[in-house]
Amino acid sequence: MENKVFLRNAVGESMLKLASENDKIVAVSADVMGSCRMADFVSKYPERSFNVGIAEQEMVSFAAGLAKEGFTAYTFTFGPFMSMRACEQIRDDVAYNRLNVRFISTYSGVSGGVSGVTHWTMEDCAIMRGIPEMTILEPCDCTQLYHMLKATVDHKGPVYFRISIEPVTEVYNGDYRFEPGKARRVADGDDGAFICSGITVKYALEAAKRIAGESGKHIRVLDMQSVKPLDEEAVVDAGRTGNVIVAQDHTVIGGLGDAVAAVLVKNKIMTDFEVKGIPNEFVVMGHAPWLYHNFGYDTEGLYEAMMKMLQGEV
Amino acid sequence: MVNMQKKSIQELEEACLSIRKDILELATREVMHVGGDLSIADVVTVLWQFQMNYDPKDPAWEGRDRFLLSKGHASAVAAFNQAAIGCYDRKEVLETYAKDGSRFSMHTCSLINPYVEISAGSLGHGMPIACGMAAGLKLKGNKTSRVYVIMGDGEQSEGSIWEGALNASFHKLGNLVAIIDNNGLGGDAELTKSTTLGRIADKYKAFGWHVEEFDGNDVSQIVEHLDSLPAADSDTPILFVCDTVKGKGVPFMENVPKWHCGAITREQYAELEKGLDEQYRKRWNITDGE
Repeated sequence: MENKVFLRNAVGESMLKLASENDKIVAVSADVMGSCRMADFVSKYPERSFNVGIAEQEMVSFAAGLAKEGFTAYTFTFGPFMSMRACEQIRDDVAYNRLNVRFISTYSGVSGGVSGVTHWTMEDCAIMRGIPEMTILEPCDCTQLYHMLKATVDHKGPVYFRISIEPVTEVYNGDYRFEPGKARRVADGDDGAFICSGITVKYALEAAKRIAGESGKHIRVLDMQSVKPLDEEAVVDAGRTGNVIVAQDHTVIGGLGDAVAAVLVKNKIMTDFEVKGIPNEFVVMGHAPWLYHNFGYDTEGLYEAMMKMLQGEV
Repeated sequence: MVNMQKKSIQELEEACLSIRKDILELATREVMHVGGDLSIADVVTVLWQFQMNYDPKDPAWEGRDRFLLSKGHASAVAAFNQAAIGCYDRKEVLETYAKDGSRFSMHTCSLINPYVEISAGSLGHGMPIACGMAAGLKLKGNKTSRVYVIMGDGEQSEGSIWEGALNASFHKLGNLVAIIDNNGLGGDAELTKSTTLGRIADKYKAFGWHVEEFDGNDVSQIVEHLDSLPAADSDTPILFVCDTVKGKGVPFMENVPKWHCGAITREQYAELEKGLDEQYRKRWNITDGE
């Protein structure tokens, strides 16, 4: 039985820990501190917590103001509201002014499940990738999340964190340390590669295991962890396997897959290539695992896609 | 720290005259937002040359008052005032405004200008950022600095301003002074043709603000209201609704929507300069040779 944990809980716990070590850390939320598991932080540091009400634009601008005054401001809300409602504030107020604001964007991908399209974070990678100097990180487990948060406390400029609310399983152990801009190879193999981030990492690992058991082929699993900047060297190396599948819990347009494709083309890497992500259409809600399955980036979908690619069917 | 020596009304009016001439001289070189620069010129001049604690040698000094230009298109009036207190040479502003790679852009830009607290341009951003800065000052225990944010009246249609207005009173940001350049004109036309904004003061009062309304082209009134500000560590955010005239000081621009943005000829400038000088001398009974 896999040990399921939640990134959201780790957000709250990590923030408490980091705030105890750094009194410049402040939290700003648009009335979702509870959902973002920040209630303990608010109780422990009431003077460093700001709830601006259901006003995401204000949340981001307010955080920019706090950052301008020397604080590292962590903002908390659901991904669509963060990346789209407050998009211009993220670009103009924070990124353009090179301020130390962190965007803790929950409900990443379709992890919002039955809440439906309004609560799905589909476009954020495409949007945030386009903002100059933006860093985009996506943890796949709680250990990684904590170290990502810790390693970026002093980062100059904005950092956007994609946080799934689906349960995850721990991929990393206590030795893990986050290296900015570096991918992590979480499974070895030269017959093909899954390039993924966040929730898709666990599915890719399971698919790779199954493929190895059934066909003896070894598929590399690359946890990109930093969607931007992208570890180009790791992508090129994965491309040399000749069989690349990118698995992402965001729209297939403008996200990780496009970033990977650009690197492969730029480096003249010839490879079979496929992107599994949220398709270019609005669909009716359902639970996240059902959606992942329909979109083809759960274990089953990734297994089948890679097997077909290995058999030369794509 | 440089605490501006308090100037007399006449000195300030002379400073405003000089800033108006700077703006118009620039308008002979570049198409610029001349109407809105002129309407808020008196307020910005009094702020920079009379009111704010600011050290041109140390723009990051913690004890400074913060100035945010939410109506970022009035970048010229801010730059000329910063030049007037020694942040840079007035000639640099005149000669490089809107030139490739210059620090003086049509909208204020912090990337290469340390005297710009926050880059601006898109409307409705200054107020919410000012709220965060004011909250940050309070959290740091800075009880003396204020955050001044200049907004347009047309800008009041941006919803984000009202998010900020709600928050400022909730977070008791008495160190925040918002100023509205109430010139009645938007980019296209009179605001009455696009919004039922009506009396701005009533709306902010309903949001828990302390509001003062006065003539924003009258230096004495501006000084009087800035002089009567309560202590920066008080609890109620303050709004000045400054009734102004877009294009103030230039008869053919005053209240004419198309002068939101524009340029003039050298000949027009010479004429206007003469008129403004005469007006000033008449007001202060200055005769030739004085």
